[in-house]
Amino acid sequence: MSNLPEPLYDADGTPGGASGIIQAGRYYGRGIPYLPIDGYPGKLIAVEGTDGVGRSTQIQLLREWLEVKGYGVVETGWTRSPLMQPTIELAKSSNTLNKLTFVLLYATDFADRLEKEIIPALKAGFVVLTDRYIFTALARAGVRGVDRAWLRTLYGFAIAPHLVFYLKIDVETLIGRVLESRGMDFWESGMDLKHGDDIYDSFRAYQNKLLREYGSMADEFHFRVVDARRSVVQIQDELRRQVAAFLEPAATS
Amino acid sequence: MTFSLLHATDFADRLLYNIIPPLKAGMIVLADRYAYTAFARDATRGVERQWVRELYSFAVKPDMTLYFRVPIDVSLDRLMARRVKLKFYEAGMDLGWSSNPAESFRLFQGKVLDEYDRIVDEFGLNVVDAVGSITEQQRVVRTLVAKHIEAIDAAREIPHEQPA
Repeated sequence: MSNLPEPLYDADGTPGGASGIIQAGRYYGRGIPYLPIDGYPGKLIAVEGTDGVGRSTQIQLLREWLEVKGYGVVETGWTRSPLMQPTIELAKSSNTLNKLTFVLLYATDFADRLEKEIIPALKAGFVVLTDRYIFTALARAGVRGVDRAWLRTLYGFAIAPHLVFYLKIDVETLIGRVLESRGMDFWESGMDLKHGDDIYDSFRAYQNKLLREYGSMADEFHFRVVDARRSVVQIQDELRRQVAAFLEPAATS
Repeated sequence: MTFSLLHATDFADRLLYNIIPPLKAGMIVLADRYAYTAFARDATRGVERQWVRELYSFAVKPDMTLYFRVPIDVSLDRLMARRVKLKFYEAGMDLGWSSNPAESFRLFQGKVLDEYDRIVDEFGLNVVDAVGSITEQQRVVRTLVAKHIEAIDAAREIPHEQPA
C-alpha cells in the first residue's frame, strides 16, 4: 500500500488534493490498488465534446495520421465495453433507469474498458485515443442533479489523460449539424428530463446545460479547448499540431 | 472494479424501488445483506476501502444492522450440506488463489470475515453468534430488535400495545 500515490482529491471531492495538481497518466483519486500504473509508457488522449460535435471524425483522422507516423494506436469510446453495452442499451429502452443507476452503469462500462483496454494498452506503449471520457459522464450526471463531489470521488479510479481536447461548439451551430446528419435522438435531447414534448426545444435546452457543464470543467481538468465551429480540416490541423508538440517536443520546437 | 460497480448499480436500483418507498410509508424494511457486504467483499478483492464506502454514500444508513458471525468451517459445512458445488464467486475463484474450491473458499471468506470485523467496529454492527441453533439466534435477534423498536416508539411517544 505504501507505494501507492496519495489521493489527489480533497475530502470534499474536488480534484487536485491539497497540492492542487492533477498529474497526467496517474489516477485522479483513490485509484485501483491492484493495478499500479506508474511509469507506463503509453499516452492517453481524450477527445471530449457534446453529441454531434464531430469527435469520431477527428479521432479517425488522428488515428490514421499517428499510425502513418509509426505509433501504435488503440481507440476506445463511451459505452463500448463488451460487458456493459448490451445491458446499457436494454436499460435505456426499458424506462426503468433512474439517474443513479444511469451513472453507475456508465461507470461500470468505463471501469471495464479501463481495466481491459486502456491500462493494458498504456502498459504496452500505445497511444490511446478515447472518444469521450469521464467528463461526458460528469456533464450528463451534473445536468441531472447528481452530487458533483460524489461523482468526482466515484471517478477517482480514472486515469488523468495526458491531453484532453474539448471540441467546443455553440448550440446554434450544433443544431444545424445534427439536423443535417442523423437528426435528434431521445437521450441526446434529454427527453428523460421532461423539459416538454417538443424534441427541438428539449434538445436546445439540454445541450445548453451540457455545454455549460463542460465549460465549467475546462479549468478544473485542464481541457485544451478547440473551436469546433471550424471545418474538419482546420480542427484536425490544430489537433495534430498539439499532439505532435506533446509526443515529439524536440521535432516541433 | 466492474464487479463492485455492477453490484452498486443493482443496489441503487433496489434502494430506489424497494427500500426508500416503504421507508417513506413508515414501514420496516428487512434487508438480507446491505452495503456492508459490498464493503467486505470488494475490499477483499483489492478495491480501495474508502472508495467503496464513498461509492455507497447514497445508501440509507440502516437504523439497525445485525451481523451473523460464524467461523469459516461452520459456514463451509452448512453450504456443503445443502449443495454439492460452491459458487464460483462465493469461493473467490476469480482471484486465482487456489484451484481447489474449498481451499479457495477458506482463503477468500477468511479475508472477508476479517473485513467484516473491521466493519463491525467502524459502523457499530450488532453481532449475533450464528453458531447456535436457529431458535437461539432468533431469540437474540428478537430481543435486540424489540429493544430498538421500543426505543423508537418511546421517542415518538407512541403507547406500546401490551400483549393480551
